[in-house]
Amino acid sequence: MKLRLDIWTGVLVVTVAVAAVLLIWPLSGIFWASFIDNSTGDVTLANYARALGHPFYQTALINSLIVGFGGMLGATLLGIPLAVLTTRYVIFGRDLLSTLAVLALVSPPFIGAYAWIMMLGQNGFLRAPLAEIGIAVPSIYGFFGIILVFSLKFYPFVYLLTASGLGTISASVEEAAEGLGAGTWRRFFTVTLPLVFPAVSSGALLAFVLSIADFGTPSIVGGRVRVLATTTYNLYTSELGGNPGLGSATSIVLIVVSMTVVALQRWAVRRRNVAGALIRKPVPVRLRPLRSAAAHGLCYAIVLISSLPSLVVIYTSFRRTSGPVFQSGFGFDSYVRILREVPHVIGNSFNYSLIAVLLIVMLGTLVGYILARRETAVAGALDSLLLIPYIVPGVVMGLAFVVVFNVPPLELTGTATIIVLMLFIRRLPYAVRASASMLKQIKGNIEEAAISLGASPGHAFLRITMPLMLPGIVAGALMSFITAINELSSSLILYVGRTMTMPVRIYLSVLDGEFGTAAALSTILLATTGIAVYAVFWLSGRKESAFV
Amino acid sequence: MARVVLQRISKSYPGVKALDDIDLVIETGEFFTLLGPSGCGKTTLLRTIAGFNRHDSGHVLIGGRNVDDVPAYRRDIGMVYQDYAIFPHLSVSDNVAFGLKTRSRPRPEIAERVARALDLVQLGGHAKRLPHELSGGQQQRVALARAMVINPQILLMDEPLSNLDAKLRIELRDDIRALQRSLGITTIYVTHDQEEALVISDRICVMQGGRVHQVASPQNLYARPATVFVASFVGTMNVLADCQVGPGGALSLGRRPCVLSSLAGRARVTLAIRPEEVILPDAVEQADAISLDGVIDRVTFAGREAFYRIGCGDGLAILAHVHRPSERRLAAAGDTIRVALPISRLHAFDPADGSRIDLGRSDPER
Repeated sequence: MKLRLDIWTGVLVVTVAVAAVLLIWPLSGIFWASFIDNSTGDVTLANYARALGHPFYQTALINSLIVGFGGMLGATLLGIPLAVLTTRYVIFGRDLLSTLAVLALVSPPFIGAYAWIMMLGQNGFLRAPLAEIGIAVPSIYGFFGIILVFSLKFYPFVYLLTASGLGTISASVEEAAEGLGAGTWRRFFTVTLPLVFPAVSSGALLAFVLSIADFGTPSIVGGRVRVLATTTYNLYTSELGGNPGLGSATSIVLIVVSMTVVALQRWAVRRRNVAGALIRKPVPVRLRPLRSAAAHGLCYAIVLISSLPSLVVIYTSFRRTSGPVFQSGFGFDSYVRILREVPHVIGNSFNYSLIAVLLIVMLGTLVGYILARRETAVAGALDSLLLIPYIVPGVVMGLAFVVVFNVPPLELTGTATIIVLMLFIRRLPYAVRASASMLKQIKGNIEEAAISLGASPGHAFLRITMPLMLPGIVAGALMSFITAINELSSSLILYVGRTMTMPVRIYLSVLDGEFGTAAALSTILLATTGIAVYAVFWLSGRKESAFV
Repeated sequence: MARVVLQRISKSYPGVKALDDIDLVIETGEFFTLLGPSGCGKTTLLRTIAGFNRHDSGHVLIGGRNVDDVPAYRRDIGMVYQDYAIFPHLSVSDNVAFGLKTRSRPRPEIAERVARALDLVQLGGHAKRLPHELSGGQQQRVALARAMVINPQILLMDEPLSNLDAKLRIELRDDIRALQRSLGITTIYVTHDQEEALVISDRICVMQGGRVHQVASPQNLYARPATVFVASFVGTMNVLADCQVGPGGALSLGRRPCVLSSLAGRARVTLAIRPEEVILPDAVEQADAISLDGVIDRVTFAGREAFYRIGCGDGLAILAHVHRPSERRLAAAGDTIRVALPISRLHAFDPADGSRIDLGRSDPER
């Protein structure tokens, strides 16, 4: 068979080169470093012996698993009821609920973490009122705080995926179960839940992977609870002689944990893809008044509590301050301060994110096309290669970049380029997936029809496929932008004073107790994110599933 | 308009031989149908002709020119798909104009030809509509106009009627045939529906497992199936698989022995007969027939016709066609019945390879 040399071959070559330089090279660098003894430079297994054998690191691993599964369980317990109630029963304000859930999802977790400190910390403004009505809230610092933040942060994944999964179960199936004598609960547990299991478990998986990868939350509300992500970060950055070899080993442990859980989920949903072709859309049922009130109460409670952090942050940003200390009354003091002290931080965030998104859109669209349309071995390999950024935590990715890009030939540390490249490679797979799934909905033979009418493949792509993909591409770009501008963990490792971004500044402000400036910056982030979310809704015709 | 020649085309996918040494000639202006069950290779072959699949070996000639290395967009073909493949973001007239624009025709000519093509498919008033405003049948008409307006050398159709409901299917089927006749365009048509193939085609190629079983006119295909597969796939056929043959071609089937001299020397044979050739007891008892006793296990009445399914023991079931069922008293399930299979109406096949055995009688077309 003749090798077909067309524009797609070129795209494939570029993509493989990009993946090699920005993914394989850094990660193999960190993999290699994990086998090197820090002081002697010899090849050794000592790093792993310590990472897995020393009680300090064992505790970190166990803690990571606790917050990972805790966050996953919490997200599932909040997400499933919300999904079932809003899709199967008449719930008023369903759009409002899903919009708020999406907003909770896209706002960065570390903002949630410190907002909860302001509410439930030692001097939190909710602690006293709650104590008065007899609710003794445990200390926010530690497992309780971390798992609370993760549950409220990641439940929208479970909710949105489960809700769209529930939409693909034909009403006839559930009616058939009822006709065979299964009551509401029995029907739910024997028919409905097994059918949406793939969707529920992918949501739960996302919650787990993101929970163990998250760095900001445990370092802000973790107190004395150390997890692998924070431990790894400290091993690299500790000014008193960090230990890159050991840090690399803990990084690899973190990746292995993620990969294991991903593999487990895939194994659990094998042969479970039972989407039927014929779908009779389920019609929401009207509940009896008392039950309806309870259902509404539950839905709104979940969504409003998860929105509390954002509201608190916005509120705080407008309080008057004098230095780091809050005064009574409202004002723009915090905004004035950030404009005076760190204006470049805002510019940096926008510049880096926009440049990264531009690159992501250009390459992501083309690669998505290859994955959706060309079934070659290379495309298959590329597909699995692009899974890597899903499971490698930002901290690890940041460290991997430092390992290979702080020496020639590509000495990039300290530059803006390295931060842009990081955002680019971390978010590229999402854009690729989005464009590939968009393309899968556009039937391939539409393009073929154009070719049969005399259009060359390139021409057919530009004239037929591109226009059809455009809304999806723009929505994907906005999604990439949202996640890029909110990126904390890898930027925290790669930034220098000149290249600081908003999330980094917020994180440092929180550590310094500067809640006012942190709130003002967070509000800018939230507002930007909110506008982007609105635009995605507008472009995708209100599809919440665009966000997962 | 062009003649299409396929020479020894083969194509394999991992583990499957999709096309196995296909030799075919499709004449200029002919309506040629590729017929077979799903997975038989008919669509693969069509896409090979279109240039969307690259064959592993062999040659495709369109209008005498070898197009093996010519990409699809330079082959000058028109293609119609099962799911229409209408460009959803372009209006009806822009859809139809697409192929003319890629050929850089002057504007006035495009406008004129598009209008004429739309009139031809009775969509003259819908030029400015968007595809989602049209019904499935109308969308398929747009696709038809779009493929025909460029006046391609060959027109390729991949199950164009499968997504339409029964009434529309017949209507559009007749329209396609009429249009094809009036334009004289060489057409290759893929379907799994044998009835549709019989009605619409000049010639039919029956395929199975990537191989050609028979190429023949609809009438010949029905009257003289070349293999057991064709016999059972086209129309309805009673198949008496793997019967024993005695010395001199004596058949030990039925109430009394009968002899088929052309079977002499064979040990076994597969016999077949169409339901409408099975003779029911009220007809004259024929000497030259296999006579069977059985019990009716199902009676199917369909207005114009009726069928008895008759169990004849040993797992053998014979379907018999009842002419003018409304004018006679129908038997009931459970009744015993005697049927005759006239020797002159039997088809015989080699049980080993399924190929037809000539019974040496004259045929209507000879």
